[in-house]
Amino acid sequence: MIDALRYEWVRLRTLRSTYWLIGLAVAFQILMTALIAWRVSVSSGSMGDQNSFDLIATIGASSGVAPLFIGYILGLLGVFSMGHEYRHGMIRATLTAIPSRVHVLTAKLVTTAVVVVTAAWACIAIAVVSMLAFGLALPDVSSMLGLAAGTGLFSVLFALSGLAFAALVRNQTAAVAMLMLIPTVLEQIIKAIVLAIKAVSDDPSGRSGLVTILKYLPYDAGGQMYTRLSIGDMLQFFGVVPFGPLGGGVVMGTYVAILVALSYWAFVRRDA
Amino acid sequence: MAVIEAVGLGKSFGARRAVDDLSFTVQPGSVTGFLGPNGAGKSTTMRLMLQLDRGDGRTTFDGLTFTELDHPTRRVGALLEAKPFHPTRTARNHLRMIAAPNRIGDDRIDAVLGMVGLSSVARDKPRTFSLGMGQRLGLAAALLGDPDVLILDEPSNGLDPAGITWLRQLLQHLAGQGRAVLVSSHLLQEMAVLADELVVIGRGVMLANGPIDDFIDASHLGAVRLRTPDRGLVVPVLRALGADVVTEGTDLVVSQLTAEQIGDAALRAGARVHQLVTERATLEEAFLEATGLTEEFRSAGAEHADGAGA
Repeated sequence: MIDALRYEWVRLRTLRSTYWLIGLAVAFQILMTALIAWRVSVSSGSMGDQNSFDLIATIGASSGVAPLFIGYILGLLGVFSMGHEYRHGMIRATLTAIPSRVHVLTAKLVTTAVVVVTAAWACIAIAVVSMLAFGLALPDVSSMLGLAAGTGLFSVLFALSGLAFAALVRNQTAAVAMLMLIPTVLEQIIKAIVLAIKAVSDDPSGRSGLVTILKYLPYDAGGQMYTRLSIGDMLQFFGVVPFGPLGGGVVMGTYVAILVALSYWAFVRRDA
Repeated sequence: MAVIEAVGLGKSFGARRAVDDLSFTVQPGSVTGFLGPNGAGKSTTMRLMLQLDRGDGRTTFDGLTFTELDHPTRRVGALLEAKPFHPTRTARNHLRMIAAPNRIGDDRIDAVLGMVGLSSVARDKPRTFSLGMGQRLGLAAALLGDPDVLILDEPSNGLDPAGITWLRQLLQHLAGQGRAVLVSSHLLQEMAVLADELVVIGRGVMLANGPIDDFIDASHLGAVRLRTPDRGLVVPVLRALGADVVTEGTDLVVSQLTAEQIGDAALRAGARVHQLVTERATLEEAFLEATGLTEEFRSAGAEHADGAGA
């Protein structure tokens, strides 16, 4: 296993995309956290240290209305980890260097997870620095760690789902499209259809029925790990009660675990 | 010094049997040429040997299958396709990546880059490489672990004539050191000079396997040229012995019989022999005959009737 990890480590370090993806996430984080921290520091209203930190660290994603930008950027590291193998005909060279397919895929999952969580936490640290630079007070450490854990875990699971897409469809472009579109388009379409049906039902604000499936939209549920504010969104009116950070994490984690299990199953059996 | 032993290799794509029950061995110290028309199953066979494709049969390297080898790059070097590398990872970094899991040092990386003539572009991105340079990088990767087995799929693709000569000398040198080399190629003249043994397949099945000289000698396209003023005496005798006899200018071209048999027959018939020359088939002729492509490719001038021997 250590052999496969060594291969993956050199693979990641010698690839330009590793640097520009992490660089893009970090640059975006520096720019946006500084911008929001500055706006918060000069505004007269107060939304509290906790809310300020949550909003700045996630660049608004904690409000539940914006996607976690760094998750989407770092998620591409997962897609590329497997996608490059197929896009550039590397898979056979990789498997002649390391014949154990389980080792190859495990090493990709591990290195992707480690790099993504490290970059995600660096982004949280950048938010802390920005807040301090603009003289904003920080919330207590445990709540900061909670958000860091949620953001890091979401980013990792997001990236691993992208890796699994690439392993399953063996096409990098298709995997990128799936990773970008399933959370932002497919899940939203499902949500809209379910809510439309619910709205015209006899009991539009009841908590039962079809709307319960919305809790299980995996990326939406996983988003609960970094969502903190409940901006009275209309979902609540329709009786949608999302899982909390833990439950949402379990839903997304289960979904990614299934994708990863399918990837192992396919990767071990298919022709390279 | 490893013996490659392939036993019962087989693979189907849907209903089509791409490779069927192929068994052969490649001995250390020899170059075995792997020949077959396009689509005959050469690349599939090589992938089966390395357990990259799922199929039937088993290939061992001194008794162990590829996935059973510890650090396989140090035992088996493989070149399977053109340009198997990321376009923006430098040549040297590409080799460092393959070297890392196999605990191969930078000295060896620089050595193989020198061996394949890429030292000057070691830090360039392969995106700018020609097909020939890409092949050289692929060869460098195959040679990286100083393996005693080489499995190379069309390594001469994209090489210029000087590159092909270089490759031939390199492979002969490597075989001379006691390595087992299996190499597929469509360059038959090149293979005739390079290979000691042949594995010839067509439509996934074995057509011939053995020393290259035996393969050529077995061809019906080899013939004996007989010059005699007594054709009327000798031709019926030769035909009675089962020979094909064709007139070409002043000579008779006799196939299916050896020069010895023809000389003896002429003596018995009382015919004078002015010249008796054995003409060997070329590897190309033997190959086209064996693969059943003879009729498609033969020029209209030749008139042998027994083309499709396979």
